[in-house]
Amino acid sequence: MIRRSVAAAIAALALSAPLAGQAPAVQPPSRPDAYAITNATIVPVVGARITNGTVVIRNGRIEAAGAGVATPAGAVVIDGRGLFVYPGLIDSGDRMGLTEIGSVPGGQDTQELGQYNPQNDVISAVNPSSVHIPVTRANGVTSAVTSAEGGMIQGTAALIDLAGWTPEEMATKGRVAMVMTYPRVGGGGRRFGGGGQGQGNQAEAQSRQVQELYDYLRDAGAYNARSNPVPQNLAFAALGPALRGEMPVIFDVQTEGQIRGVLALADTFKLKVVLRGATGSWALADTLAARKIPVIVGPLTATPEGDAPYDAVYAYPGVLAKAGVTIAFQTNDGGEGDARNLPYNAALATAYGLDPEEALRAITINPARIWGVADKIGSIEVGKVANLFVTNGDPLDVRTQVKHVFIRGQLMPWDDRHTQEYQKWRARPKP
Amino acid sequence: MMRIALFALPLAAGALAAQTPAAQDTTRRATLTVLKVDIPPAGTLVAITNATVITASHGTLENATVLIRNGKIAAVGQGIAVPAGAQLIDGNGKYVMPGIIDAHSHSASEGINEGSLSNTAMVRIEDVLREDAIGIYRSLAGGVTTLNILHGSANTIGGQNAVVKLRWGLPVDSLLFAGAPPGIKFALGENVRRTNVPQIPGRTPRYPRTRMGQEELLREVFTRAREYQAEWKTYEDAKARRRGDAKLAEPLPPKRDLQLDALVEILEGKRLVHAHSYRSDEILMLLQVAKDFGFKIASLQHVLEGYKIADEIAAAGAGASTFADNWAYKLEAFDAIPFNAALMAERGVTVTINSDSDERARRLYQEAAKAMKYGGASEEEAIRMITLNAAKQLGVEKLTGSIDVGKDADIAIFNGHPFAPASRVEMTLIDGRVFFDRNKAPTLEALIEALKRRSRPNTTSGGAQ
Repeated sequence: MIRRSVAAAIAALALSAPLAGQAPAVQPPSRPDAYAITNATIVPVVGARITNGTVVIRNGRIEAAGAGVATPAGAVVIDGRGLFVYPGLIDSGDRMGLTEIGSVPGGQDTQELGQYNPQNDVISAVNPSSVHIPVTRANGVTSAVTSAEGGMIQGTAALIDLAGWTPEEMATKGRVAMVMTYPRVGGGGRRFGGGGQGQGNQAEAQSRQVQELYDYLRDAGAYNARSNPVPQNLAFAALGPALRGEMPVIFDVQTEGQIRGVLALADTFKLKVVLRGATGSWALADTLAARKIPVIVGPLTATPEGDAPYDAVYAYPGVLAKAGVTIAFQTNDGGEGDARNLPYNAALATAYGLDPEEALRAITINPARIWGVADKIGSIEVGKVANLFVTNGDPLDVRTQVKHVFIRGQLMPWDDRHTQEYQKWRARPKP
Repeated sequence: MMRIALFALPLAAGALAAQTPAAQDTTRRATLTVLKVDIPPAGTLVAITNATVITASHGTLENATVLIRNGKIAAVGQGIAVPAGAQLIDGNGKYVMPGIIDAHSHSASEGINEGSLSNTAMVRIEDVLREDAIGIYRSLAGGVTTLNILHGSANTIGGQNAVVKLRWGLPVDSLLFAGAPPGIKFALGENVRRTNVPQIPGRTPRYPRTRMGQEELLREVFTRAREYQAEWKTYEDAKARRRGDAKLAEPLPPKRDLQLDALVEILEGKRLVHAHSYRSDEILMLLQVAKDFGFKIASLQHVLEGYKIADEIAAAGAGASTFADNWAYKLEAFDAIPFNAALMAERGVTVTINSDSDERARRLYQEAAKAMKYGGASEEEAIRMITLNAAKQLGVEKLTGSIDVGKDADIAIFNGHPFAPASRVEMTLIDGRVFFDRNKAPTLEALIEALKRRSRPNTTSGGAQ
């Protein structure tokens, strides 16, 4: 094993996945109830760092975290000397569980037909056996907001943990937000496609699409105002929580024009808005801060649109954060394997003005707050779900190695496709 | 000093037309500002002082000076006297590394794929370069100084590459890297098979549609190239004989074939092959074909399954130019692992990390660091994967790729270690000329400041400006 030096018991557990040449283990690994990570630097994200601290994990929760915490009898001990403990990272936008291989159509399950699909719940289509899940969590990403794409209203997004036997089991919040796009001059919102039309035609098409969106939401509002409507309209009914302000609405947009449109729409329908992508949001940073509208920034692995400044995509998270906007990061991984690079999106932002501590919060506690699960995940605090990972350094530094990953208090085995292939082929004898 | 306005239309700080949301788009309005390109003065005498210098060839030097004379590195090390009149670049707190070389790019090119034939050895990227492609500037801002601009992967034998230096602001011919040997793109696998693009009804699919067909095509065209080479040899021999015996009839030259000319150059080792490839089987096939016809593969491009056959690649003397961690975007990329670069290097392959995109090109240093994370490459090895090793794969290692005396002064200056999370490029030099300087660059911060100044009422009296 290449990545860790751990107590023998842990090593055995971590190696429970069959290696090349071995018969697969028939028995699932034993699952200890309690772990103690000792003598580590704990980075709780809320509050100060704790040196020489111990984190106790029991029955899936963080039972204790701090200096001078005793190791309970029977707990499996992980020596954390020289290591760091961070809360699990949260990717606030990707297509986890919906995509497998880009060029294989059968491996792409992200786009429904039609423009308006609020009735679709992505959680029922998340494949718990996707090979992307273990690969992603191996870098400390323990949760993801996964959603469909295409059209004007995509349905609900799901906040999932990257472990579990069934979609329901993986879900921290199965319906975490409604996902919409706002029409854009020059060809739709993100993934909305474009066109070779002239500007005039595009503006016309855009205003028609905007009108459609308003009409649709107005009709849905009228429907939801009725008691026991017959016949039932499942699409309109699905918009009920969003129109009552109970469920946030993610708007996948880019330009300032789209964002202004979203703000007007939000005023009309009293929507609780979360902007996502939104590379043009820097121009409205003060407005967004005043209106307490969070922005899911990223992916930063993108080039600026048109002739925007060369560093616009790298720098806008910092501009937003300085103005007081709550930010979180997304990778927008559509199956290309970028979700594990979530912390490096945050790193790029720190090179161009974002405070490193805020960058860390923007992949942990900020998204937990935005998605209404800060009582469960996003920091290392007693009572929270034990989603955390152990490293030999700053997770924003590419050179840092992840040593252990816990999801819901369980130590994740190193059984991801990449580690397995590496071990197998590294052992290939010289021809 | 010459100035080129690339993006005209700085709109006056006029009133916001407040009809539609789109009309209020200050983003759009504001970004149409002038990006002035200062043609930098020739790097006749430049000194970067007191910096941490990552040489890529002989370790990292602290508190070192890099002295540049006439575009070349004249001295590197500590205690180097700075001659009077030198342009000084304060390297205090900065990290200096060789300019980054991207061994796989499609930037700055008007067209990428001439895919109508399975062999387009005659077409040249050089003929479709654009000096005004914004990707050039953005790559410079990521510390990149040299690109290997390759033909696309639509056909087994693609067009001829262009190795360029990113001399932003100069005429297009100035981009070409004088001294770089010519090269060509080959491609294997899924893209050549065209299985991922819709079939046009009524149009006969282009041969080959399989990997076995790709091998056959390679053998076919190189067999023909050998015959063509022999025809020319026969002709040259006859000409030589006639020089000794004027009574002999004047031989007729063979018909010149630009496609075959390029292939003969490959056979004669004068043209470097950069071969797009993914799966281990197709790579082994190509190495065998090359061996049978007596030429080498300068670089296997992508080579995502190279880790499975690293020994064979090393034995064949082929370079490997791969992604840091991209995978699963195609069936043939499903076995890609981020350990690929480090594992191939461990087995003795000359490895580079490339971008294949204007996006990754501008943060190639971050990509290279992944070779340390996955598989434990040393820092120097990881640095070489985007500098000296790339220079070797492109045949320009005597000219660039490391900070050594006598080489071109192609240099990237960072505000921290290039692999550290908060590091960014501050300055990029090519031939000792500063082609990117963040202090003078049109940044988002500068744009926001400019917008604030515009929207603020002018309260200063006098209005001198």
